This record gives sequence, C-alpha cells and structure tokens, in this order.
Amino acid sequence: MANKKNTLTSKHFNKNVFYICVLKNKMLYDLIIIGAGPAGLSAAIYAVRKKIKTLVLTDSFGGQIVDAPMVENYLGLPEISGLDLIEKFRAHAKKFALEIKENCEIQKISPMSNDLFEIETDLGSFSAKAIIVTSGKKYRELDVPGAKEFDGKGISYCATCDAPLFKNKNVAVIGAGDAGQDAVWQLTQYAAKIYLLNKYPDLRGANIQMQEKLKSNEKVEIYNNYEPIEVKGDKFVKALVFKHNGHGEIKEIAVNGIFVEIGSVPASKFLADIVKLNEKGEVVIDQKTNETSRPGIFAAGDITDIAHKQMIIAAGEGAKAALTAWEYLKNK
Amino acid sequence: MIKVYSTPTCTYCVTLKKFLTEKGIKFEAVDVSQNEADLQEMVDKSGQMGVPVIDIDGQVIVGFNRNKIVELLNIKD
Repeated sequence: MANKKNTLTSKHFNKNVFYICVLKNKMLYDLIIIGAGPAGLSAAIYAVRKKIKTLVLTDSFGGQIVDAPMVENYLGLPEISGLDLIEKFRAHAKKFALEIKENCEIQKISPMSNDLFEIETDLGSFSAKAIIVTSGKKYRELDVPGAKEFDGKGISYCATCDAPLFKNKNVAVIGAGDAGQDAVWQLTQYAAKIYLLNKYPDLRGANIQMQEKLKSNEKVEIYNNYEPIEVKGDKFVKALVFKHNGHGEIKEIAVNGIFVEIGSVPASKFLADIVKLNEKGEVVIDQKTNETSRPGIFAAGDITDIAHKQMIIAAGEGAKAALTAWEYLKNK
Repeated sequence: MIKVYSTPTCTYCVTLKKFLTEKGIKFEAVDVSQNEADLQEMVDKSGQMGVPVIDIDGQVIVGFNRNKIVELLNIKD
C-alpha cells in the first residue's frame, strides 16, 4: 500500500489524483513543523490560529531549554527554570490542541511532485505542503574510541545532574570553555580531583573570575593543549587517554567520570541535500521571511544562520516563519 | 512500588518528582548523592550512572522519559 502512488504514471499526476493517493497512504498536512522548542511551538501556535492543518514532529518537547537551570530573560517570566518553562509551553500547546508527535526522529525529507514533501521518520511517513524546520542545536558528542560505549557509564553530558554521583572520585572535564569551566566548578564540590582538558594554550571565555578560581583550586589540574584520544574501562569508565596537540605526548589518567562540554552543533543532518546550509551546518534563511533555499521549506530559531541564538528571538522567528508559510499556503 | 533515584541538583529529577506528585502517584525518593549504597543500587538496577532513574515495579527507566512513564503508570496526560 505504501508504494501505491508509485504505480501511477506521470500522466496521472494531476493535483487531485495525487492528493487522493497520498491521503490513502500517508497522513497529509498543510504544514509540518520539525522541532518543539520556542521556535517550533511558537510557529505551531501561529499556524493553528490561522486554521492551518499542522503537525509537530520532535525528538524532545522543549528543545534546548531543558538544559537551562534558570531563565531570567524571557519577557513576563523574570525567573523560571527551563523545565518549568517547558511545562508552561506544554500547557499553551494543550490549549490550542496542537498535534505533536514526540520521540520522533527525522530520517529524510523528500520533495515530491505537486509541491508536496514527504517526511520519513521512525514513527512513519508524513506528507505536507510546507515545512518549518526548527530542530535547533544539540550538544556535540565526544567522538573518540570508547565514547559511545561508556556513554552514561561514567561519561556524562550534564554536570549539574551527575556531579553529586562522583563524590571523592577522580573525574575529567573535556572542553574548557564557559560551560566546561562551570562543570569543573560544580565538580569541585564533590570530586576528589578534577582534570580539565583544554585544547587551547590557556583558558578562554567570558568569566575571568571563574578562570582564576579554577587555576588556584588545588583539586583542579588543567591540561592546556591536550585533546582526548580514547576512553578506557570495563563496565564503567576507568581512564582517559589524551594527546598534546603540539609535541604529541600521550598521557593516561585514571578517572571514574568524564564530563563532556565541547559545544553544540545545528541538528541539520537530515537537511544536507534539501536546503542550503552554511559552513557551520546552519540553515541559510532570508532573514526577513525565514524562507530557505527551497520553496515550501522555512526555518526558524537556533538551526538558522541568524545572529543571536536566544530563546525569545527563536520564539519570534517561529512566528515569522509561520506567517510566511501561511502566505505561501494561501497560494497553493 | 515506585522508586525515584535522583540528586538534588538535577532539574530533570525535580521535574520528574513534581510530575508524579501532580499526578497523585506515590513514590519513594532516594537521594543517591547522600548514600553510597543507594547509588550502587541505582547503578546495579540501571547499568549506568545518570540520574534520574525511576523503578516502576521492576521496570527501570533512565531519564525523565515522560511518554514511557505515562504509559507504564497509565496516567491520563
């Protein structure tokens, strides 16, 4: 049944025939929004208020906000945790009865005939006349031998969550930017020893005071110019191997925990052949209209090449994209 | 029996416990940062070292997987 439309010859592809076939085999929407962070949910609310038949597909509700311990710059909410803000978004989405499929992984977007798009996911295929991509950014995963094997088994991407589990243990932090420094500082409350791996010659980042505090803390040992090459262990992490990026010296230290803070990357893998991306992997958009290089696909929020990656900006960008999509759909 | 293993600093844990409380689900909260034996129990059950972990009558879920928890507890969401 799923391939029934493929049995049609090209002469059958007038708008109505195709439309009926798609309806028989796939779920057809006017608009599919990928992602449910501030950009995606804001776009969805604008869309449903315009009576656009909309579906939201997302791997996680709320997006990156989940990692924000406290939000203080979202208008009207002077002090709220990321997770409480997500609950507010959920209530807002519920009010407008948004159709949302969570834990959904996007595999492929294919442009079809008659200006339709097919989105293949692990939950099945969906079709839409227009798409707004708001899949944001995700943390960059450690990519060395052992990293996948020991993920959750000593390797953590959340120092706030897991630091208390390493009381009196030796740990390493990979990545010495602001987030890495913050992780080290949190760990000083629990761990016996913290090794900080910094790929640059000195600590960088905005918080000079923090850098001074870490340098003078006797629990902290900073390895400048070193990069990880392997994680070793049995059931759990036992050691980290790292290499000097100048003279190539290799060191191995015994650790029970490894905290990874090496930045984030746009979640745009599934878009590579579909729309224009810049060298960072961000979706290039018309900054006025949120149109991408492909008609019918729009993008908003942190996945795009806009200048500032901020929650409130993402929400506004989502609204902009929905209004442009509405104009586009009116002509379809 | 429902047991939630957590740390005080983990926002996912706080939200999970708040969610269960709001839904009227009774559970035992275990702060694994306070007791080595509790931490080991969590690691043995889940085979990993992240929090939160929820044990619902022997079914162990790592992280605040809202959909799975709703399904297992038959919560109307």
